[in-house]
This record gives sequence, structure tokens and C-alpha cells, in this order.
Amino acid sequence: MVRIRKVEILNFRSIRSLIWRPSSGLNCLVGPGDSAKTTILDAIDLCLGARRTTAFSDTDFFNLDVNQSIQITLILGQLPDSLKDLDNYGIYLQAFDLNTGVLQDEPAQGFDTVLCLRLMVGSDLEPNWSLVSQRAQALGHERNIAWKDRLLVAPARLGTYANSNLSWTRGSILNRLCEERPNLGAELASSAREARTAFGNQASAQLTETLQIVTQQATSLGVPVGAQAQALLDIHAVSISEGAISLHNESGIPLRSLGTGSSRLLVAGLQRVAAQKASIALVDEVEYGLEPHRLIRLLDSLGAKENPPPLQVFLTTHSPVAVRELRGDQIFVVRKQQDGSHHIHMVGVEDDIQSTIRLDPEAFLARSVIVCEGASEVGLIRGLDQYWVDQNYRSLLAAGTAYVNVGGGEPDRCFIRGLAMLRLGYRVLVLVDADKPPTQAVVNSYTAAGGQLITWRPTRALEDELFLSLSDTGVDSMLQLALEFVDRELIAAQISSQSQGRITLDDIYHQRQLQQSYTLEMRQLLGLVSRHRKNGWFKSLSKFEVLAKSVVGPNMQTAEPGFIALVNELFRWAHAS
Amino acid sequence: MPPEYDLFAFRLGSITAPAGCGKTQIIADTLNRHVGSKPVLILTHTNAGVTALRQRMQRGNVPASAYRITTLDGFAMRLVSTFPQRSGISAETLELRTPATDYPAIRLAAFTLVQAGHVSDALASTYAHLIVDEYQDCNLVQHALVTAISSVLPTCVLGDPMQAIFGFGGNQLVDWNVHVLQQFPSIGELNQPWRWINAGTPNLGQWLLDCRRRLYAGGNVDLRQIPEEVIWIPIQDETADRQRLAAALTRPVTPNGQVLVIGDSRNPRGRRQMASQTPGATTVEPADLADLTSFGRTFDLQTPNAVAVLVNFAAETMTQVGATTLLPRIHSLQRGTARTPPTPAEATMVEFANTPTFLLAAEALRALTRQDNARVYRPELLYCCLRALQIASAGNYTFPEATVRERERNRHESRQINRRAIGSTLLLKGLEAEVAVVPNPETMDARHLYVALTRGSSRLVICSSTPELIPQ
Repeated sequence: MVRIRKVEILNFRSIRSLIWRPSSGLNCLVGPGDSAKTTILDAIDLCLGARRTTAFSDTDFFNLDVNQSIQITLILGQLPDSLKDLDNYGIYLQAFDLNTGVLQDEPAQGFDTVLCLRLMVGSDLEPNWSLVSQRAQALGHERNIAWKDRLLVAPARLGTYANSNLSWTRGSILNRLCEERPNLGAELASSAREARTAFGNQASAQLTETLQIVTQQATSLGVPVGAQAQALLDIHAVSISEGAISLHNESGIPLRSLGTGSSRLLVAGLQRVAAQKASIALVDEVEYGLEPHRLIRLLDSLGAKENPPPLQVFLTTHSPVAVRELRGDQIFVVRKQQDGSHHIHMVGVEDDIQSTIRLDPEAFLARSVIVCEGASEVGLIRGLDQYWVDQNYRSLLAAGTAYVNVGGGEPDRCFIRGLAMLRLGYRVLVLVDADKPPTQAVVNSYTAAGGQLITWRPTRALEDELFLSLSDTGVDSMLQLALEFVDRELIAAQISSQSQGRITLDDIYHQRQLQQSYTLEMRQLLGLVSRHRKNGWFKSLSKFEVLAKSVVGPNMQTAEPGFIALVNELFRWAHAS
Repeated sequence: MPPEYDLFAFRLGSITAPAGCGKTQIIADTLNRHVGSKPVLILTHTNAGVTALRQRMQRGNVPASAYRITTLDGFAMRLVSTFPQRSGISAETLELRTPATDYPAIRLAAFTLVQAGHVSDALASTYAHLIVDEYQDCNLVQHALVTAISSVLPTCVLGDPMQAIFGFGGNQLVDWNVHVLQQFPSIGELNQPWRWINAGTPNLGQWLLDCRRRLYAGGNVDLRQIPEEVIWIPIQDETADRQRLAAALTRPVTPNGQVLVIGDSRNPRGRRQMASQTPGATTVEPADLADLTSFGRTFDLQTPNAVAVLVNFAAETMTQVGATTLLPRIHSLQRGTARTPPTPAEATMVEFANTPTFLLAAEALRALTRQDNARVYRPELLYCCLRALQIASAGNYTFPEATVRERERNRHESRQINRRAIGSTLLLKGLEAEVAVVPNPETMDARHLYVALTRGSSRLVICSSTPELIPQ
């Protein structure tokens, strides 16, 4: 059933302009806060929803400028039959090329037959919905979608509270499940009458004196009230509306008193059943009120894993759990460009990106991303960040920076992944060892796209840099920590065998007991040994985290200036976003 | 009542429907059983046919949501004007300034549009089925269009090859056997003469079906063996005109019954003359009202002969107006040389001659109709003309434009046929009356003859010098 093929928004709230072709399945909008994700959902809802009235105010205009009309245009494809009726909508029917996104003014064999619906709001704040086509405009024709057809295409919104969908209110999902309707008029009216009878004359008994006065006055003034005025239940006071009937559980407790998560989950499930009649769903903050496993269940019930997708869903999230559950072609990054317009990029399904979604979904929710060669770099950044937070500095996480762990291997992979993230509009910094040189062409295309790069001094890996740059006390602490992670015998054996017996662990201790500095050879040797491929001393995220927090951070000020400069550069970048 | 045949039993099908055998009823019955949210599209040829079908559907209590009725040309026109680029039709063609070439162009463009599949999605979304009525009147391009639509919509066509009488002037009609049955295999042939059964004259109905079979096979109609409802007037050469006029005056069977006189379709002047000479009779006008629009083009207030044109028009539409006497009389009245004072009608004519306006022209025409013994025998023409004069006098349209507008308005009116109407097979096809008079059967071919014979439900009067009617 109906799908939104294209969204165009002009001058609506924080969006000056946006043109987007969503997918026909699940569209998960991510992006840093205030990136207008909810505004996009609202725009779709306002343009396509079945509302009799909608109030707009000056604050709905971009920059509060009411002279620039709000214009929300949706191209609707896969139309239900009644919207392709030649007699009703003939001159509004158009053709849409799903591959190129090109709209042709008349339907064509082999193309999706579409309608173009536009909501305009001018300075008078009066919303005006109309179908748009060039030939209708040329003829001066204008019409809206008929109300009965509007109900067919109206999106179902799963807001923060799903309660309205748990009773038979107008627009409730319950009315779209099947053709049954509660027989409200007759049944409710007779119930109301019964209530009146049951209530009877009880009130009169409690209001004897008042009634007495009324009766006396009425009689003396000749107002006919009969022998005695009565106090009865006013039949009009008994509310008779569609919303009066709602879902209850076995013991008669209304389902609206379920927890937020449960009611949202239930309504989403019903939505799935009603997909034929309400094929577009809008979901705010999909994770709201749900534990991770129920969030996954909710995404499943919205058809996240089905092909072809049963619903076209537009949802917003700030949850890495939600991101991790989705494919790259279901995740869309919302960005505000330099020129003030908004762009939406599909994350895509290339291998590199898909593994980032699985491993570091947080990256997609940040503004800036540090692409780390391996767990060590991630540990270093985290540990240092924690150290500085303890020193009352702001965390780089708070500044909207996240990191991606490429997981070792060829250094080129860092730049390839960095480039993919750059193309999605993220600020990207690659942090990579300098012991294995990357392919220059790969680095060039990365930096040409605006990527930043920090690497250690030539030929150095991270451990080399640390052992070569920290003060003697710092290196002492590193050795000390290594002994906590790795057996002393193993370290001693590694040092002896790497130096072919020229230097031993005991030699190193001896030298330090004599208050003598580490020699360059010792520092180089320790760096090399500590990053042994199989038995590296700090080779895990958590060990490096401890190293950075308890050793590197406290010894930063006494470290070699070149190293300090590099680390400063890294953190300045992370905080600059 | 369930229909005799299920029109939707087959994806493609045709019904052969002799005159008066319940063709419209079967459509109504079928629609009454139609379920589903999409309507059935019903196409026919003329606006009058649309009106007649719609009335029958309303009388049969068919829900309006079950069908949409329009003409084939109207449908083609709407398709191409809705999708002008895909049909490659120019805005100029859609204005129908030269209908003779514009309509064929529109039909062809509609066919091309549907054939290319551009509107298949919309067609299938809009309609459940297609029914085409009077299919024998389709020309080959219309047949191609219906065939193209039938690849999208299940389609049933109804018609009667023996009533195909519109194939002239380069308008090549479908051949029932060669074109229609190939594309739309026969579902069946209607064979109950309901029109005559309902009128209490089943024998007449059976005799007409019998005539149809003979004529279809190339045979003649024998007037020596006729049911009692058929009256043969043997024409004698010396009294031929009087006999025919007498036949045209045949009384209806019931007090309010209608009499149709089906004259020679190639001799409109002769039919008009008969109407002028037959008390109570009026002519049936062709839908294009050519005499009105041609009057519209020639009647020019600025020219000195406006009076002559107006008087000639009046003489063609009513009795008691003789152009040869009235025109000199007006001139002498204008010059003041007339000896007798003017009649009221002559006075308004002179007034018009002195100050020619559209309102005075209309006034003069009305005054002429009020003369003693005056009788309007072409009322449709006259009253459309009076309305056109009214429109032109308002100033928004020229008189030629006003006559064209009036013609178009009239096209969509349901046809009001006088109690005694004189027309031809081409003008009266699809209409029925209590009594049918056929004054000149010897001029007709088999199909025209069959159409003429089947117009009366209770009585049929045939003028013929020979006892056998031999089709031309």
C-alpha cells in the first residue's frame, strides 16, 4: 500500500530546506540532537495526517519568518486504487522513476503512478492542502485528497504515549484492524438512560431544601415545574463518544494503565496487523520506555527484518541498541549543512559500514568520530578522557565525540572506514600507528574529503611512543602495571629473547635502583616487547584504559613535548565540535 | 431478477441483441448484482444514449456507485485531455474547432495512449468492468480503443449487426463477424421480444424477429402474411402523396400514445414538408442542429438582408409564413406604401427591420408563431434559436457562438419527442413509440428497414406499392 517516495520541506521550524527520498521500508533517522529528526516526522504527519483542524503559529516558520511560506510536499506512490481513480484524480496522476527519482507529469507504463500532495501555510497561518501537477496548475485546477481517501493514506503515529490507540477514538489503530465498529449511538444512549434510571431520585433526597425553594419561587412566578422540581442525572452529562469504549484486561483494568513500553509495543504490533490499511507509521524515540530486548521486539514488529517490508516506518532514535539491530540501508543520518539546508544520507550496506553498525553503533549517534586502529587506541582515549574528567575537565563524550574500533589489520582500513563516515557528514579523525605505512593514495582520498589524521612519530606504534615519550617515572609505572597483567617470568623471558641476551629485566631494575635513566635502547626494547603480537602487555581495551588513566594521564605533563603535542591535538579536535 | 446471461462470466464476451429484446434490462440486472467498490464503466455512442441508459438504471434502482456512463468519444476526449503529453494531442485539437478531423484524431490518440499501457494502472484502479452498448455503431478506431482497454478491464460488448446504420461518410463500422466476434466471443443472442410482450403484442414481436432473420439472410419482407398489428397500405401512383399523408396521421392506440413516422433518411426536405402538412406533427432534429448553426453564421444584424434571412428561417420552422409574400409586404410597410395596416406579427417584423437587434428578432419570431393557425413544426430548432438570440443579446457571445453553445447544451438534454414525430431511421434509432409509420420503405436497405420496422410496439403502418419489401 501507499509509500512516500519523496519528501520536500521548506521553511518549516528548524528546516530551511530538505529534499529526501526515503526507502519504502524502515527509515531510522539518527543525528545529533536538534538535527530536526522529529521535525521531519511532524512534517509528514501534518501533510498526510487525517486531521480536521491543525493550528499553526509563528514558531512553526523557519527563523520565525512568516513571509516565507511553509511548504511540505510528499510524493505518494504505490497508491490504493481509489487514489488512482481517473475521474477523481486523473489530472493529478504522475509517474515516478524509482531509480532516478525523476517525476514525470503524466503516468507512464512501467513507472510508479504517484500523486503529489502539498501542505502550504502562509502568513495567515491557515493550512492549505492540495494535490499538485503541472497540467492541473496550467488549467487552474486545484483539489485536495477526499476525506475518505485521506483516511486510507493517513500515517499512524506512535508517539510517546500510545493511549489514544487503546480506545476506539477517531484515528485509533483499532478502527483500522477490520471493518467492525462499536454500535455507539443506540447502545450507549440506552446505557445512559439506564444510568439515569438507576441513579433515580437519590439527589433529590439530598437536596430537599434547595428544591423546596426552587419549587416555591417557580410556583409563585408562574413558571411551570409541576408539583415538585426534581434533581436528576442530566442525560447529556453522560459522555457518549467513540473514545468512551476502550480496551481492558481480563480483570477490567484499562490497558492504558500498562507501562509506556508495553502499550507502545502492543500498539506497534497492532500497527503491523493493520499494515494493509495504515501502511505508514511514524515512531518518535523508538526506544522510549523499552528494555533492549523489548526494543528489538518492537523493531521486529515494525518489519525491520522482513522483505518486502510490510510498512513504511519513519522513526527517530538515540539508542545504539536500535541502530545495532538495523541494516545500513535502514539508517539515515540527518545533517544540517553549512548553507543552512538539511541533508539526509543513507548509511548504506558496504561491509565496512555494516560492521561499524554492529560494533560501534554509538558512532552514528555522535557528531565527531575518532577512527581507532585497534582496541589499544580506544583504550588510550577512554582512559585519558576518564583521567581528565577526574581532573574536572569536560568529557569528550559530552562534546559529542565517539570512537570506532577498526580492529587492527592493515592501516588502510582505518582510512577507508573514515572516508565512509566522512561521506555521511561526520567529522572524522583517524588515529593510527606509524609502524606500518598506509597506502598513500588511500590516505590522500581520505584527507581530500576533509578527514583529519593523527599518527605517532615515524616507525612508532602506540607502545613505542609511550615507552619513548614518558619520563623515567612514567616508564616505571608502565612496567609496574605490566607486571600486574602479565607473569614476571614471561616478561623477563620476552626481554631476554628480544635483546638476544644483551639486556635482561633484572638489568633494567638494577639500573633504575642506581637512579639511572632508561637508555634509549631499553626504551626501544620495552616498546617492542610490550606490543608482542601474541603476548602484548596491554593489548586489550580495558588494560589500555587502565594504563592511560593511571599512568599516561598522571605522567603527561612530564612527557616528551612532541608526544604532548600529539595528544593535545587529538583532544583539541575531539572537543572542537 | 437474475439476468438471462451473465455478462461478467467471461473475461471478454459479446451479446447479440435484436431490437426490443431487453438489452438495457440485462445491463441493469447485471449492474444490480455487481458488488465491489469499483464501478462498471459503461460506454455508448450518443449523449442521448447516455441519458436514456442513465434513466433506465435509475428506474431499475441500480445504485449510482455501481456504474459510470459516458460516450465513447467523451471518454476518449477525457483520457487524452487528462494525459495530453502521453497522447501527443494538441490543445487546439481538444478545442474541437473542426470536429470532422478533431474527433478522429482524439479517438486515435486515446487508442495509442491506452495501447502503450500508460494508463493501464489507473484504468484498472478505477473500474471493475467495461460494458459497451450499441457496439455495432463502433468504427474501427473505436473498436481498437475498446480492444486496448479490454486488455486491462474485463469487457462485454452488446449490439446488433442488423442495426448498424451509421456507416457512411468514411466512417467504417466494425463487421460483427470479422471484428467483434474475433475479439469478444459470443456469450449468446437475446431472443425474447420483451418490448412487444410487454405491450401485449407478442405476435408482432415474433414476426419482427422473423423479419430480422430473413433480412439478415438477404431475404425480403412479405406483407401478405402479417400479424394483425401490422397494416399494409398498398400505394397507388396517383394517390401516393395523399395516402402517405393519411398514414402519417394514423391515430395512436391509446389516447396519449406516441406516433413515430420514419421517413426517408436521405430526404430531410421531404420529411419537413410532411411535418408541415400533418396536423400535430413535428420534426426530429439531428443532434448537430446544422440548420441552427448555419443560421447562426448567416444571420448578421449589420447586413441589409438580415430581415430576409430571418423570414426564411421562420418559414422553415412554422406554418403560415411565406417568404415570397411576407418580404415584399415588410418593404411596403417600411416605405409606407402599404394599403392595409400591419398585423401584429408584421409590425414587429418592421420594427426589427428598422432597428435590428437580437431581442427584436426573437420578438418577431414569437409574434409569427402567434398568427392565426400558425403551427411550429420544427420546435427544437426554433426554441434553440430563440435561446441563442437571448444569449447573444446579453453581449458575452456572438450569435454564431451562441448557436454553438445552444447546440451543445441541447445535446445533453434528454430528448423530448413530440406525440407525433417525423424523423428518419438515423434520427429515431433507439427510440420507440406505440405506433410506427414507415411511408417510404422502398428507399431503405435491410438494416434501415429493420430499424424502421422495430420502432412501434403496438401498431406498424407500412406504405408500399408492392406486397414484398425488397431491401435496396
